[in-house]
Amino acid sequence: MLESIVSSGVAIGCIYALIGVTYNVMFSASRVFSFTAGTLGMIGGVLGSLFILRTGMPIALGFVLALAGGALLGVVTEIVAVRPVLKSLDQHLYVLSTLALALIVQQYTAIEWSTEPQPFPRIFDIVRGGFDQQYWLPMLACAAVIVGLELLYRHTLVGHAFLAIAEDNYAARALGLPERGLRMASFALAGVIGALAGFAGGQLLLAFFANAPLLTFYGFVPVALGGMGNNRGAVVAGLILGLFQQSANFLVGGIFASVAVFAAFIVVLLAFPEGLAGAPVQRRV
Amino acid sequence: MTQTPTVQSRPARAAVFGAGAFAHAWPFLALLVIGLTLPLFAGGYWGVIATRACVYWVLVAGLNLMVGFAGQLAIGWVALLTLGAYTTSVLAAGNVMPALHPYLALAIAGAIGAVFGVIVGLPALRLRTFYFAITTLGFATIVTQIALAWQSVTGGGVGVPGPIFPAPFDSQWGFYYFCFGLAAICTWMTMNIAASRFGRALTAIRDAEVAAEASGIAKPALLVTVFLFSGAVAAISGGLFASLQSYITPDAFTIDLSVLFFIAILIGGRGSILGPVLGTILLTVLPEFAAPLVAWSTFLYAVLLLVIVLAMPGGIAELIDFKNRRPLQSNRAIVPRPDLLPRLLGTNRDPGTLTLEQVALSFGGVHAVDGLDLTIRPGEVHGLIGPNGSGKTTTLNVISGYYAPQSGTAKLDGVVLPALVRHTRARHRIARTFQTPRLVGEASVLDNVMIGGTIDGRGTFAESLLSLPRHRRDEAMLHETAMLALATVGLESLAAVRADRLQHSELRFVEIARGLMLRPAFLLLDEPAAGLSAEEITRLGAFLVAIAKTGTGVLLVEHHADLIFDICHHVTVLNLGKMLAAGTPAEIRSHPEVVNAYLGG
Amino acid sequence: MSMTRRQALQSAGAAVLASTIAKPAIAAKDPILIGYLPALTGPSSSTGIGINRGVQLAVQEINAAGGIDGRQVELISRDTQSDPTKAVNGAAELTRGQKVNVVFGPINSGEALAVVPMLARINVPQLHPCWVDSLTDAKKYPLCFRNGPTNQQIGGAANRYVVETLKRKKVAVVSDTTGYGTASVIAYVPMLKTMGAEVVYEGNVDASNPDVKPEMLRMQAAGADAIMPWSVNAGFLSRLINTRGQMGWDVPIVGQTTLGSGQTKALLDKPEYWAKVYPNNFRPVCYGANGSLPDRTKAFVDRLRSAKIDMSDTLLWWIALGYDAPMLIAEAIKNSGSEPEKIVAYWNKLKDFSGVYGDISFAPDEHNGYPDKQIVMVEANSLKDGAFNLAPGYGAA
Repeated sequence: MLESIVSSGVAIGCIYALIGVTYNVMFSASRVFSFTAGTLGMIGGVLGSLFILRTGMPIALGFVLALAGGALLGVVTEIVAVRPVLKSLDQHLYVLSTLALALIVQQYTAIEWSTEPQPFPRIFDIVRGGFDQQYWLPMLACAAVIVGLELLYRHTLVGHAFLAIAEDNYAARALGLPERGLRMASFALAGVIGALAGFAGGQLLLAFFANAPLLTFYGFVPVALGGMGNNRGAVVAGLILGLFQQSANFLVGGIFASVAVFAAFIVVLLAFPEGLAGAPVQRRV
Repeated sequence: MTQTPTVQSRPARAAVFGAGAFAHAWPFLALLVIGLTLPLFAGGYWGVIATRACVYWVLVAGLNLMVGFAGQLAIGWVALLTLGAYTTSVLAAGNVMPALHPYLALAIAGAIGAVFGVIVGLPALRLRTFYFAITTLGFATIVTQIALAWQSVTGGGVGVPGPIFPAPFDSQWGFYYFCFGLAAICTWMTMNIAASRFGRALTAIRDAEVAAEASGIAKPALLVTVFLFSGAVAAISGGLFASLQSYITPDAFTIDLSVLFFIAILIGGRGSILGPVLGTILLTVLPEFAAPLVAWSTFLYAVLLLVIVLAMPGGIAELIDFKNRRPLQSNRAIVPRPDLLPRLLGTNRDPGTLTLEQVALSFGGVHAVDGLDLTIRPGEVHGLIGPNGSGKTTTLNVISGYYAPQSGTAKLDGVVLPALVRHTRARHRIARTFQTPRLVGEASVLDNVMIGGTIDGRGTFAESLLSLPRHRRDEAMLHETAMLALATVGLESLAAVRADRLQHSELRFVEIARGLMLRPAFLLLDEPAAGLSAEEITRLGAFLVAIAKTGTGVLLVEHHADLIFDICHHVTVLNLGKMLAAGTPAEIRSHPEVVNAYLGG
Repeated sequence: MSMTRRQALQSAGAAVLASTIAKPAIAAKDPILIGYLPALTGPSSSTGIGINRGVQLAVQEINAAGGIDGRQVELISRDTQSDPTKAVNGAAELTRGQKVNVVFGPINSGEALAVVPMLARINVPQLHPCWVDSLTDAKKYPLCFRNGPTNQQIGGAANRYVVETLKRKKVAVVSDTTGYGTASVIAYVPMLKTMGAEVVYEGNVDASNPDVKPEMLRMQAAGADAIMPWSVNAGFLSRLINTRGQMGWDVPIVGQTTLGSGQTKALLDKPEYWAKVYPNNFRPVCYGANGSLPDRTKAFVDRLRSAKIDMSDTLLWWIALGYDAPMLIAEAIKNSGSEPEKIVAYWNKLKDFSGVYGDISFAPDEHNGYPDKQIVMVEANSLKDGAFNLAPGYGAA
């Protein structure tokens, strides 16, 4: 029983953590939060099911195409919903433009793909054991992303450039870094991470358009609690959230579990508005 | 002899009553007439749709004040609709206690909605925009889940029958008129708020929060009031919704519906009443034009929202704002009228002295202000100069309460000014301007200036809601004072123009006019000459001298040495947070250390 | 001499009067308008999609045979998207806007709860197949008739199978969080207790919850020896079945008909998991002991095949029910008339209308038309062409 809670809690927590990382990567590049993070997760699952099950492609190809689809949606987000509003004085327009784009993609998926959850393919043809691939695939994906991002940020020039843009936008531009190109690349990267979350979690969540609002909310909790832009915080908070949610499901069950999760989130957030790790205060005047 | 600039000296009054008011009101009157006569030309089906639009508008009217005016993005406000719908239905059906009369049930739902409006809205005071939006989504889910779980009261998934209002509101058209009446009342009330100091204060909180604080607007109190109102009308809308549906189940309260309300406001345009009315009608009616559209309705709303945000962030309101399309006269000059200042500011004022005693403030390891003493006397212009990073603006921010010094105090007439309670500075008649002008771009120049006088209004929010006499007296008083303030800076001809159409230098003078609304004892100016032409700087200088002559103490933080030396009675030079020199302009100009550090050869 | 205005008006008035009097003869050839409120999209759409296929076929057949007394049948449908708000809007449009003669639907209880009182106020006859008990009331809603079973009937059959045939005593009752699901649990738990069974688990689970294992473990820990799920959500039901298989827990699943649908089957991890799953179904559309369908049903299935209507991703009884509904309406209008009171009067006296789906009977004080004895449990994994074998333990008729 405990083993069940832990395996499903950590698995779902890794999915939430990855969506949190998606939020963070987009935030680092542009200082805005995008409502499309959850939608990226949904797209990963839907495209995976579409390519592998409906059109019958080999799994590896379907996987690559699903990630490519995520990258595409990430870039579209940047061009359509983020870049135009960064110029305006009113920073909060981004909430609206990304919300609109997320809704457009979700509704289109619902109508054209299906309003019901559709099956997601089994990735590895192994016998279903206790600790099944639907649990360890998300964990593997999460670990891979964390390690990959570390390597990227610390050891590659592009990664350094991403960090520079995130730290100090003006200085980076003054140094001649191509801000727009880097931002687009960041959003493409975020798209890949989000789609990976959806693909790796596809066997748990199925290919379902309503995963988008679910992941939008639950994927944001790790960001809010872990601290804006803080990927390590996001992973820790995501795991805690996953375990808390599954424990609540087990102990209290059904409806009360989701009320408990939402209520706990709001209370913790009110107590720690900058996240449990805190964040620097910006100059206002 | 120079050509006198062609600026009208007679104030161009944007009429509060009279012809201007009708131009503003005719769309509403048209809607009123259409709504009242609807049964004559529309069939029963469109009657249902129209009733639905009225029910939605009751909620959206309140939400508009929160989202459109105050800028708090409550995407999940459907939680209040659910709450109101269930409360009204349960009380009217008698599930928990003996059945109540539907009107009483509706009223109680409104009261409970007010309380929950505050609960759901409260995180806005503590969280950033996006975080707050997410928490409202969380609340929306929580309320629906509770409705599902609390089976003994709400019927769980099976739901409860909605209330039936007694005759004459029990027939289809009777109920329509009931909803229409409530919608009309909500329109009238929110129009009153929009044209009141509370509405202006809300837009100030949204777009220029620091300026709002400097003008004495206490954000928490005002937002809580708005939450109370929005929550109450949203809950009442819920009761009407339950009656329209005849029967409510939790699955009727979808996030799609919540998104509809939200998008209606944004499509309509922020800071407007008419825009969101049209937006609500549009979004309710649009899917009904073609059956296939119903499935795509949320998709369409989202596309509309995206188009609006990218192409016309002002929404429908901006589209129909013909007044602000008229070209402005180019080559405008700013000609202040210092002679009007005594009338505006009064005379015989003795506020005491403003002093800083040994104020020290560090950011990390940097000593921004390092043991500073400063004395500003009324009737004097006191200049504060120094190189970049010397702590000038920080000093000003300490006085106006934005930073708390780690040691030392700021005192007015011997009484300590408490740190960080910024909005109380206005009560002490300390006004200020900002390094970059902080104005509400979408509001008119006059509205922006009237914000400066917010604390002089006596009427309460409720009195404004109902347009009671004290509200109208406040408005007339603020209107008159603001026009006078604009006249003193020579910008009264631009009173009705949207602020974001003005030139940078004009905005600086508008900020000063706003500050003068407080009839300040002390006016703190943060680099007001930046971006001004030489001619304008001269006029600014003369103007500031005239202000000081009426008894105001002026603190001028500046880089323009000429301006400082021309008009200041007293100058303090800062360097690296410490006072380098203080004295008259003549003394400072020849002070060897000052010349070395700052003025140059 | 030219006509005065008065004379012109008078002659115009006479012409209008003449044309109004002439109308009834033309009106007799107007089409019969059937309003239709299916949920073709949204979370509870699996039923609607299946029923829709039957409805469309029936209308085509009626019109191909010349219509009803020479009047063609026009089906005007509004997709409710499983949303009660859209259902109310759609119902308003069909009745007040399009002025339909009769309404079939909504298909889901959640929407019907809002639409039934509304149609009663407007005096439009309504036929619907929803199961929630309170959706018919001969006194409150005299024009509303149900051509399907009630929750009481369905639950009764399932509960009897579990307790009396399978002889299980400790039952876990689980549903999703829709109106239908929660109403079922509320109705069935007391029924089980009266039959002497012990309800060891009772819960409502959010259908979008990705993992139902904690719930299953709680059921197992409570000692359940039968699981009874009530939901039309194929994703939710498939997760229950899959988890039971993964746990290797040998316990029968007995419950909602959607357990046997093609959509549920598609979401199963392994076909073997579908063993020992007994959804409820209806005898007229099941294979008999001799392995074949009743004649009428066989003929119907043949017509479905030649019309190229897919049965593999849905349930035959949904299609059959959808088919029977326009037939019931046509029958009433043909024998009685198309005015509301005539339709209602006919239905109130209807005895054993032989539909493909079942034999429907109404009475003035009984507006639930489906007979108890035709409700049966079937074996899910015997699915073939949309129909099933009866579950083990069912004797003949």
